[in-house]
Amino acid sequence: MLRESYTAIVERSEELKGGFATEPYECGWAGEAIFFVRTLERVGSLEGVRLNVQISPDGIRWCDEGASVTLGEEEVAFCKVAHFGNWLRLSGTLPDGARMRAIIALSLKA
Amino acid sequence: MQEHSRAILNADPSLSRFDPLPRIIYHDDFNRGLRGWVELIGNYEDSLDSMLPQYADMRPPMLSSGTHWDTGTHGAMQGTYSMKLATRARAGDISVSIKRVTWRHRGPVRLEAYFTFKPEASALQLSVDDVRAVGVLFDLQDQEYRWMPHWRYLNALQGEPVRSWQFKRKREPFHDIGGRAETVSHFHLAPSGWENVPDSAQILCYNEVATKFNWYYLRMDLDLAGRQITHLQCNDRVHDVTAVGPMMIPAMPNLDCMLNVAFWVETDVDKRAFLYVDSVLLSGDW
Repeated sequence: MLRESYTAIVERSEELKGGFATEPYECGWAGEAIFFVRTLERVGSLEGVRLNVQISPDGIRWCDEGASVTLGEEEVAFCKVAHFGNWLRLSGTLPDGARMRAIIALSLKA
Repeated sequence: MQEHSRAILNADPSLSRFDPLPRIIYHDDFNRGLRGWVELIGNYEDSLDSMLPQYADMRPPMLSSGTHWDTGTHGAMQGTYSMKLATRARAGDISVSIKRVTWRHRGPVRLEAYFTFKPEASALQLSVDDVRAVGVLFDLQDQEYRWMPHWRYLNALQGEPVRSWQFKRKREPFHDIGGRAETVSHFHLAPSGWENVPDSAQILCYNEVATKFNWYYLRMDLDLAGRQITHLQCNDRVHDVTAVGPMMIPAMPNLDCMLNVAFWVETDVDKRAFLYVDSVLLSGDW
């Protein structure tokens, strides 16, 4: 049996600034995931900004899982996560005056 | 359908609840993945910014186990997983997923699905008027026309219950996309121009809290040769389709034999709305 896989584009080019979180993504069927953050445009310094992986019992209430994506100079940053229950999202806070547009892909595999 | 064909369908629990035409074009049971259903995106050229803004964020579909804060995993009608479409928590937001194939015979086709819809269970309230609409559309093309049957259940509008089935034949304006005169786009799901189908009112089994799912049957038949909608049905309600029609557009480049199906959900309040599709079957007669 092939392993099921699916990539969801959970954020696409909307302007992100201040505190934000991606929309809840239900993926309890998957056993592993990678969040890829491809930065399309940045204003201000994003060096070292951490976007935290969050998990949830119900898709409404969230807590940090412990993994995070650290933004740097490169176009694409990522982090891996496993054993995450039924929902995932990415949450972070950009520094005052900074903003970005990104494609955030959630790559899932059973 | 011939008796032996029906007997074969009846022997398979995943097919016996459908009434397909002789050829099954696809049968998507979401216990086996998303099976080609993908977020709808608008046309663009050179930059994503060239897209019509209504198409910029139609949200990716998910495989949902229907899990809730109060009772845990509800599951699907058959098995655990259904395809879930989710809006953002913003009144008027729409989520659309589409499956794209082409037709090999210009004859009858039939779409059947089992579905339900709910608002996000973020409030301990009935919330029955929070989902604005759910719907299904075809996007089709033959040598002369692109035609687009649209059918939706308008559950509520601006806080008021409606509970009516509607269709849309009014065309929306086309806009040039980019600067090379190669691409156009139109937002056919715009809120204007919807008309009630005959005998449109239908109360669906919402149940009593947002975490209780009851599944509904949907069927939409088309005649590709006659460019007609020939049957609209939800559960036990069959509508008279005599006066029901699709959007008609002169044939466009690069869309020959297109046979696309899309589902969507729209929220009426600043709360996420969810459409769950347990399974979809598209069949044809040739």
